Amino acid sequence: MQSKQYSVKVYECSVDDEEEFISFFDTNYTLFKDHLILINGEVSSTIRDYLNSKSLIFLNNVTLPKGRTRKALEEELSIERRERDIDKIMAKIELEKLSNRLQNNLTVLDEMVRSGRELAVDGDLLLLNRVNSGAVIHTTGNLIVTQLVEGAIRCDGNFMILTTSSKANVIFHDVEVDNKFLADRLCRVELKNKEIVITPVFQKETNWVS
Amino acid sequence: MGIVIAVISGKGGVGKTTAVANLGLGVAMNGKKCAVVDFDIGQRNLDMILGLENRVVYDMVQVMDGEATVKQAIIKSKVNENLHFLAASQSKDKSVLSSQKVYKLVKELKDTYDYVILDSPAGIESGFEHTIEFADAAIIVVNPEVSSIRDADRAIGILDSKSQKVKDGGEVAKYLIINRIVADMVQSGEMLKSEDILDILDIKLVGKVPEDNGVIDASNQGKPVILDKHSIAGQAYKRISARLCGKKVDMKDIEVSDSSLFKKIAGIFK
Repeated sequence: MQSKQYSVKVYECSVDDEEEFISFFDTNYTLFKDHLILINGEVSSTIRDYLNSKSLIFLNNVTLPKGRTRKALEEELSIERRERDIDKIMAKIELEKLSNRLQNNLTVLDEMVRSGRELAVDGDLLLLNRVNSGAVIHTTGNLIVTQLVEGAIRCDGNFMILTTSSKANVIFHDVEVDNKFLADRLCRVELKNKEIVITPVFQKETNWVS
Repeated sequence: MGIVIAVISGKGGVGKTTAVANLGLGVAMNGKKCAVVDFDIGQRNLDMILGLENRVVYDMVQVMDGEATVKQAIIKSKVNENLHFLAASQSKDKSVLSSQKVYKLVKELKDTYDYVILDSPAGIESGFEHTIEFADAAIIVVNPEVSSIRDADRAIGILDSKSQKVKDGGEVAKYLIINRIVADMVQSGEMLKSEDILDILDIKLVGKVPEDNGVIDASNQGKPVILDKHSIAGQAYKRISARLCGKKVDMKDIEVSDSSLFKKIAGIFK
């Protein structure tokens, strides 16, 4: 086995002011060109480019733990970073689920929606009265109407619960829901895996007043 | 201080003017001082139905513009001295109306009479809005058919948003008259039931009037049908007038025709 031993000269510094750092290295280039440069703290891309252009050898984040190579350390760091990203995405999904479950922007109305009225609601709507023929209701959120709907409904929420007459026109996420599925009984219309699912709600399940 | 009642319908031809003539006379017959005002400017016809056709000298627009006083313009009915009538203008357009003028006229009439009944034009444009603007109560006349009910629904919506009383934080009392009911057609399901109409409009029912051929003849002759003792529509208007005057009159179920009642009894003995 052949082995060689080098003695390495190390120059340790830190970057406080980038311009100052660059001018300092410019003037003392001949001094440092055979040194290994250790930089404490973060190294910005401008400094990195500058050092590379001068073909200076440098290391940063220098408190290398014993027994670990720089490469292993970097790998560890990248895994850690990826995990943090996944955590962030998971938190976001959880929050969305929660906000769907909570009644955001809920409007509760107990007034008859008469013919000719166009009611646009941003968020959820709980309507405790009738929707007469000729009236239009548009909600961006969920919709519950406890009495008969004879007018037009536009709902872009996750679900709606309503009873319609045969005259009503119901559009859920830009899709017209056929009246024969909804007429004369309380129904729950919801979006499941990009499909509209209509399930009748039985009298026992409805517990409006309790 | 009297009460101002606007008679509205939304749709035309449902019997608003007939109702105004009969209720005005009915209220007068109950001993109350009553003024009926035709707000259908440009198309007056209440004068004909009341039989006061050729006695109009000054109309309400002239009163509003100060060309005549209310006293000069008011026409007393030949039939009942309690009933006074103010005609609409034939020549003018409804654009002559303004809130201030209408308020002044209505206020003056309200101070003199027990009941002021305003005959609204059909539709929901400016003439209609001026009629309901200063009303204390509204009588909505509908026929048992979907188009009439939808228009009435729309009219009630406007009444609830544009009337002065609502703007001041109050509420206009709303009463429903279902006109031209044919019992047989209701029984066979061709005509809407009054319960369904009440469900849709959600206001208090003050009376139901059956379809009666005598109404047309009565209008042509200028004698409101309420004067005809044998007319079923006349009797219905009599009951409604009594209710308006605060008397308790039981609601008569005119939707059950004699024939169907007979059939039911016959069915029991089969």
